[in-house]
Parts: sequence; structure tokens; C-alpha cells
Amino acid sequence: MGKKAMIIVCILVAASLPLYAGPYFLSVFNTIFVYMSLSLTWDMMLRTGQLSYGTAGLFGLGAYSSALLVAKAGVHPLLSIVLGGLFAGVVAFLLGFAVLRLRKIYFSITTLALTSVFAVVIRNLPRLTGGASGMVLPSALFSGDAAKNYWMVFALALGVIGISLWLSRSKTHYAINAIRNDEIAARSSGVDVFKYLLFMFVLTSSIQGVIGAFYAQQYAFVQPEATFSMNFLLLPLAMALVGGVYSTSGPVVGAVVLGVVSEYLKLIMPYGHLVVYGLIIVLVVLFMPRGLTRFVARQLARRGRVGGADRAALGN
Amino acid sequence: MMRISMLTVLALVLTLALSSAALAIEPIRFGAVNPLGDITGEQATRAMELAVKEINEAGGLLGRPVELIVIDDEMRPEVGAAAIDRLATVHNVDFFVGGMASGVHLAQVPALKKYEKITVWIGAASHQVELAVGPDADWYFHLHPWDYQQGASYGQGWTEIAQAHPEIEIKRIFLAYEEGAFGTDSYLAYQALHEQAKQGEGPYAQILTDFAGASFTSALLGGGDYRAVLRQAMAFNPDLFIWAGYDADAVPIVAQAMEIGFEPPLFVGAPPGWPADFGKNPLSDGVILYGMWAPALKEVSPVAKHFWDAYIEMHGHEPATYFAPLGYTNIMFIAEAIKAAGTLEKEALIEALRTIEYESPIGAVLKISPSNVISNQGFTSQKILQYIDGEQHVIWPFEYATAQIKYPFGR
Amino acid sequence: MQAAGSAKRLYIYTAALIVTAIIIWFWEPTALVYGIQRGSLYAVVALPLALILGILGVLNLAHGEFLTVGLYATYTLFRNYGWDPMASAVPVSIILAVVGIGVYLLTVRQVLKAGHLSQLLITFGIALVLSELLKSIYTTQPRAVFTTYSYAFTRFAGVRFGIYEFVYLAIALGVLFGLQLFLKKTRLGQATFAVGQNPTGAAIVGINVRFVYLFVFGLSIAIVGLVSAFMVPRVSVFPGAGTPFTMKSFALTAMAGLGNLNGILLAGLALGILEAIVNAIPGGAGWSDVVVFGVLILVILSRAFRGAR
Repeated sequence: MGKKAMIIVCILVAASLPLYAGPYFLSVFNTIFVYMSLSLTWDMMLRTGQLSYGTAGLFGLGAYSSALLVAKAGVHPLLSIVLGGLFAGVVAFLLGFAVLRLRKIYFSITTLALTSVFAVVIRNLPRLTGGASGMVLPSALFSGDAAKNYWMVFALALGVIGISLWLSRSKTHYAINAIRNDEIAARSSGVDVFKYLLFMFVLTSSIQGVIGAFYAQQYAFVQPEATFSMNFLLLPLAMALVGGVYSTSGPVVGAVVLGVVSEYLKLIMPYGHLVVYGLIIVLVVLFMPRGLTRFVARQLARRGRVGGADRAALGN
Repeated sequence: MMRISMLTVLALVLTLALSSAALAIEPIRFGAVNPLGDITGEQATRAMELAVKEINEAGGLLGRPVELIVIDDEMRPEVGAAAIDRLATVHNVDFFVGGMASGVHLAQVPALKKYEKITVWIGAASHQVELAVGPDADWYFHLHPWDYQQGASYGQGWTEIAQAHPEIEIKRIFLAYEEGAFGTDSYLAYQALHEQAKQGEGPYAQILTDFAGASFTSALLGGGDYRAVLRQAMAFNPDLFIWAGYDADAVPIVAQAMEIGFEPPLFVGAPPGWPADFGKNPLSDGVILYGMWAPALKEVSPVAKHFWDAYIEMHGHEPATYFAPLGYTNIMFIAEAIKAAGTLEKEALIEALRTIEYESPIGAVLKISPSNVISNQGFTSQKILQYIDGEQHVIWPFEYATAQIKYPFGR
Repeated sequence: MQAAGSAKRLYIYTAALIVTAIIIWFWEPTALVYGIQRGSLYAVVALPLALILGILGVLNLAHGEFLTVGLYATYTLFRNYGWDPMASAVPVSIILAVVGIGVYLLTVRQVLKAGHLSQLLITFGIALVLSELLKSIYTTQPRAVFTTYSYAFTRFAGVRFGIYEFVYLAIALGVLFGLQLFLKKTRLGQATFAVGQNPTGAAIVGINVRFVYLFVFGLSIAIVGLVSAFMVPRVSVFPGAGTPFTMKSFALTAMAGLGNLNGILLAGLALGILEAIVNAIPGGAGWSDVVVFGVLILVILSRAFRGAR
């Protein structure tokens, strides 16, 4: 019960942040929620045993489809965010029939290659997409209002957290775990592996599209180099791994910790802060190889403060 | 009772005195967002520090000291945008300065529009930024030439050079451009200028007749093999070959041109920066470069010389990129406007910024004029430089020239 | 490490490549030359990554950054002692072997038991540390080394082209040949082969798996160092110079199929030639990435749908 109360307090604090924090703080957490959502989607796909490197690709597709709808078809920005996610989901659905037959490094490299393909194709269609120079949108989401943007991304992040939690509690998670642990055994137990993989792929890609669309609307521009940046793959990946994979709390904690740490480091160490950031990641892997959340959970368990059931829940 | 109230009065008086003293020494704050992980942002920052130091040593501005706060944008758009929020709300800066990458700046525009503080930006050459800012932002000043302006100034330069040197003919131009936003913007700009020239208008009207271009992948982004595009250039047989890429392309492209036997009469490079010791490389001899500044300017401009010496004295190394004198200009330009206006009041300051002329160590006079969309554009033209015998020289504009052009390019 | 029956496939692919090469020679000869040169470069850079992935099962995300370290080491030897890059090839590979083994002992070895994901993250952290350290020491301004031979050229059948980059093909063939000898003829090599097939089984038979891992990691980084020295005369040296090669090496390894080292050279040559063809078509250069990645995806998919993953 103590853990649930803590979580509710956290949500209330986070929700009420715009009431007492300034735009800078909101901006930092806005970014953290964007990466947190991407990190959760990457982890959700990982739970099926598939290491996807396509996060940035679907993010970019959502961003561009949303930008095109607003700039060329006059669609309302909020609607375009939904449609951006839908577009990413449809693309994932169609690609899934081919790509989801692949496993391990072959799946990974194909999703990575797809990201490049999306970016280059978009870049080579200047009349439609603005080409390499990108496109500027007529106005920013909520006219740049920091609080409204924050609440929107906070709501999105809560939604993604909810989906991730639902996944881990619903019957789906048995199938997913089975696939991850031993696909052949799962298949022979009657699990329709492809159906679950496709479902997860489309689900996570749609969310990535929504987040990408939101990002494009918030900053009111798209441009191949910036929108398909590898940062939208590498950072969420690192956040999930640092926080602890195969869980919801892992990516959440990882995103907050790495986001806050990187911003803080930058302010106290203007030159060379990324060296320290890299070192921190190395040290975390060396001393907490299963992630921050599990490490903390183990320490708390050792001190007997956490009961067995809660420990299991934390460690997923 | 009497004693307590005496003490209270004394305390009140002291507090008043101290707070008004504190108010009197409230500094004028410049908030800069620079890419500290890149040499451009690093040197712009150091140059800004130099400018601030000089201003404070001369007594500050309006009797107040000047303070510089720099935040790293990490070349990530969302980080650059958060930096604007921080500078505005945590540090309460009076001006936004700095900048480099267009992609980062595009993300900052919504935030800048929120605060409408006087912004004097030295980065972002992409015309997309102009479109994002719009025509109504009278608080926005942009010092770096736009992508379309850069091509135009060179047309003027080559026309003058061709007039001064009748043996130089520039009818056919081939542009090799990197496939990203930077290169593609150059290509679009040249296409537009070519169209104008065909109608007999624009800065290339008297010289350019034929233009072609092809893209390549920059070494900065994993490319580095230019032989295909160089062969296409060779087949076109241009009078002037120009490549628009990054500093990482400079040496390999001229080496590969040599390898395939491509020797156009004019070999021009237009990266935003140059490799270290490029002059020492024998391949550099005769290479022409477009740029905003050359170290050689210290020979012909007292302001440039002062900046050069002062920068080395403060930081112990030479300025290596035009972002150094540009960063210095960024601060000094605002300082001069503050002195001319005599106040920090926004309207008066905007007026002063629009009217003053500042002789910049970059080797040009800074005067604000409108560009395609915005009303407050600073530098519009750049310089034509050439490596001659290992030294970088200015060959145009003639009033800043430190050498005559070496023509034609080739062994 | 190679499945039976793929030897025949190797011969078929090689024959197909040779036929295609002849056709291309008559269409656009320089495309063939450049394709072979760049393709060998991609292949020889990919081999070390494939080695570590195949034997240790670790995807080394810091692969490109080690390459950059080698570039800077070669540059520094040139700058401070005047050593010609080709002459520093062996010293640089030794330096890099030392660096690689050092990094391995401090970090990767500790996480061998922790699973592939931890290894992925730690190499990501190492990549960040290496590239940012280089940035702090050397700044982002690129450096270059001038040598007269780097743009040497020749004429053949009326076509003029540069010859320096054929050194990449030579190194690739040398490395492949050396690895084959090593894996088949030496005890350590046979042990390595066994570990690559089945680490648990190898340990049971008494092979010192830990030493094999250490050796392979060090060897791999040493090869990276060797290649980097030969690259210096042709490339700009800057902190991000090696980074794009990580993904390319990963792509080639996947395209050839895990464990298929010879296939990497073939895949590299094929992709290199394909890229050169697309680049030679006017207006095609912007599409070369799509074509190359498209072919990569097709190859991987077709293998999966054939059932041989």
C-alpha cells in the first residue's frame, strides 16, 4: 500500500508541476516524457524478444505525416497527432508481414535500415516534404504555451505507462513472455507467435508515431536530419537499459534519471559533460547490470523494508 | 521601546541603502546558446567572453557590469529550446545571443516568440528559420547571412574579379553539394540565381551562362567518396567548380580531384569551417574558399588585428573559425547600440540596433537591413578567400584584399 | 562457423559477382573500380565487428569509435614523429590492441554473464566516452595527413583511376586468409572456433574460454587499428569519423549471415559496387542509401523466407 501511495503522490506532483515550476523546468520534463514514452515502447517490443532499432523511423513517420496534414491539408494539430500515430501504425502493419519473420540481429538491422530508408525517401521528395531543408509549420502547438504542452505530453506519457502496465498484467503478457523465453516451445503450445508480434509491433509503432507527431507540432518544424535523428533510438534504449528492462518502472526511472542527470551535468560542466555521462552509463552497467530499479528493489529487500509481493511487482 | 525603534529605523535605512546599491550593480545579462561540443560554439563562446571582459574593463554599459551566461545546446533541438526557457526565466537575461545550427534554432523559435526579448543571433543560415520567425518580429535580429544571400554575394564578387582580370572567364559553374539541408539549400539558391541570370538579372547576370549540380554524401555523415560527383563535374567542364559540404570534406575532395585528373581553372570550397593546418597541405595551394573571415584580415583591418591579439592573449590559442570574430561581434554590436540609445528600453534599443554601423573584426561593416522575410538582417555578403603558398588570403572584397587571385588552379 | 552447403553458395555468388563486374566494366568502368575499393573498405572494417559478434556474442557499439582512436593515433604519430601512416600500421594496431584489451578487462569482461543487453549498453557508454574524450583533446576541427601516394593513379584500357584504395582489398584478403589459417591450423584458433560454436561445450572440454574471449577482442581491435592506419591518407580525421562505420559493419555482418566471414567480403563488394553504380547515374547519388539498404533488407528477408536464418 505504501508503494501505491508513493506512486499517486508522484503523479499528483508531476501533474501539478506547471502550477509552481517555470517554463524551463517544464521544458526539461517535457523532453523527459517524450523520451520516456519512446523508451517504454522500445521495452514493450523487447518483451517479445525482439530488439527493435526502428524507434526513430516510426517517430519520424508520425512527425512527417502530422506535419504534412497540418501544413498541406489544414488539419487541426491535435487531430494530426492522432492521425500521425495511425499512419505509423498502418506502415508498421504492412511492413510487419515481412519484417516480423526476422529474428535477433536480422530484425534489428532491418528496422535500423528502414529508418534510413524512410529518412532518405522523404528527403528525396522535396515537392511533397520540403526535402532536405524540411518544412516549417504555420504555428506551434498551443502557441508554445509551456503548461499546455507539458500537460499534453504528460497525459501521453501516462497513457503509455498505462498501456505498458496493462500489457504486463493482462493475459497477453503470458504469451509474450513465452515467446521471449522460447519461441519454439510457445509455438508448439499453440501460441500464435506472429499475431502477438504483429500486435506489439503495430502498437508500439503507433505510439512512436503519436510521440513524433507531438514533437513536430510542439516545435513546429520537421527536417530529415533532426526528425530522424539517432538520438530518438539511442537515448530511449539507454534509458530502458539503465532503468531496467522488461518492466514499466525501468524505462520510467531510466528516463527521469538520465534526463535529469544529463541536464544537470551540462550546467555544472559545460565542457566535457558527455564524457561523464558515458562514464555513468558504464558504471551503472558494471554495478547494476539488471538496471536501477531492480538494484534499488534488491537493496530495499535486503533491509527488509519491502515485502515479498511488492518485490516481485517491482522486479516484474 | 525607543531603542528598539531606533534599531528598526537603522535596520530599515541600512536595508534600503544596501538594496539600492544592489540594484545599482545589477548586471546587464547576455544569454547565449552555443554548441559547446563543436569548435564553432566553443570559439564563439570564448570570443563572447573576451568581448564581455573588454566591456567590463572599460567600465561596463550604462554604469552597469555585463554578464554572460552560456548554455550548451548539445546540437539537439529540444535542448536548445529548453536553454532559451532557462535563460529567460531562471537567469532573467536581457538579450538572447549565439547560435549555430539551423535545426536547433528552428526549435527555439516558438520559445523566442513567447518572450519577445531582443534576440541577436549569429547562427542558422537556413531560409526556413526566416519563414518560422515571420515578418512581424521586430525584436529579432539575425547576423549570419542567409543561404540565398551567400550565393548572391559571390556573384557580385566574381563579376568584379572577372572585370579586374579579363583572362578569367566564369561562364560554366558546377556545384557539388552535400545531400543534407546545408548543401541542398546552396543548390536551390544557385538554381534561383541561374534562373535570374538567364533573364539577364541578378548578381550572376554578367558572367554565368550554364549551371549544373550533383549531390554527394558528406564525410561528416559517413560518405567521403566524391569521385562519382567529381567525374560528373569533369564531364561538365566548368570554369568554376564549387563544393558545398563540411570541413571534413575539404582535404579528401581536393585529393580525389587530383586523383581523377580534374583541374578546373577555379576550384572553390564552401564549407562552414576549415580543417586544421589545411594551408600546410600542399594540395591546398590555389584552392579558393568562401568564408566570412580569414586570419589574414589582421593585416588590413585594425579591428581584426586587435581581436586576433586579444583572443590569443586571453585564451592561449588562435581563432580557427569565423564564429570567433562573429561571437565577438555579437556582443559588441549590442554594446554599441546600448551606448547609442543610452537606455535598455526595448523600442529605443531596437531603433539603435537598426541605425548604428559597427566595424566588425570579421572584416565588414555591420548594418541592419531587411532580408526576404525579416526586417533585421545583419551580414549579407561573405568573402572570397584563397590559399596561396600555405596562407589563407582575402581576394575579394578588394578593400579587404590581402593578395591577388592566383589563377588558374592546378599544378 | 560456416554451415555446410554455404561453400557452394559462396562459389555461386562469387561467379555472379564476377559476371556482373565484367558487365559493369563495359558500362561505366570507374564505377566498378570505386565499388571494389569502397566495398573492400566496408568489408575489412566489418570483419572485426563480425568476429566479436560471432565469438563473444557482443554487438560492439563502440566499433566505429575504436576506428576513430586508431585514426587519431596514426595522425599523432605522423604529426609528432613524422611517421608515414603505412609505416605506423603495425605500431597503431599494437596500440589499439592494448587499448582494446584494457577496455575489455575493465568493462566488457565484467558483463559477459549479464546478457547481451547489458553488453550493448556498456559498449554504447564506451562509444560515448571515447568520442567525447577525443573531442576534448583534439576539438571537432578535422585533421588530415598529406602523403603523395594517396592519390596515385594509373591508366588501364584507357581509363584513369586511383590505385591507393586497392590496399583495402589487399588487407581484406589478407585478414580473411590469416583468420582461416588461424582458425584451422593453430590450437588457439581451433579453440576459438569451438568457443564460437558452443561456449559451454568448449568450457567442458577444458578450453580456457575467458582467454579466448580476451584474445579475440584484442585481435579484433588490433585489426581495426591496422585498417585505420591505412585509411588515414584518404580520410579526414575528426571525432565522428569512425561512427558511421558501426552501422555499416553491422549491416554487412547481417547481410552475410552470422558466422560467415568470407561472405562479408562478398557482401561488402556487392554493396560497394551497387553504391558506386547508383552514384554514377546522374541524379542518383541521393538515392544510393535507399538502394543499398533496400538490397540489404531484401537479402535478409529472402534468407529468412527461405528458412535459413
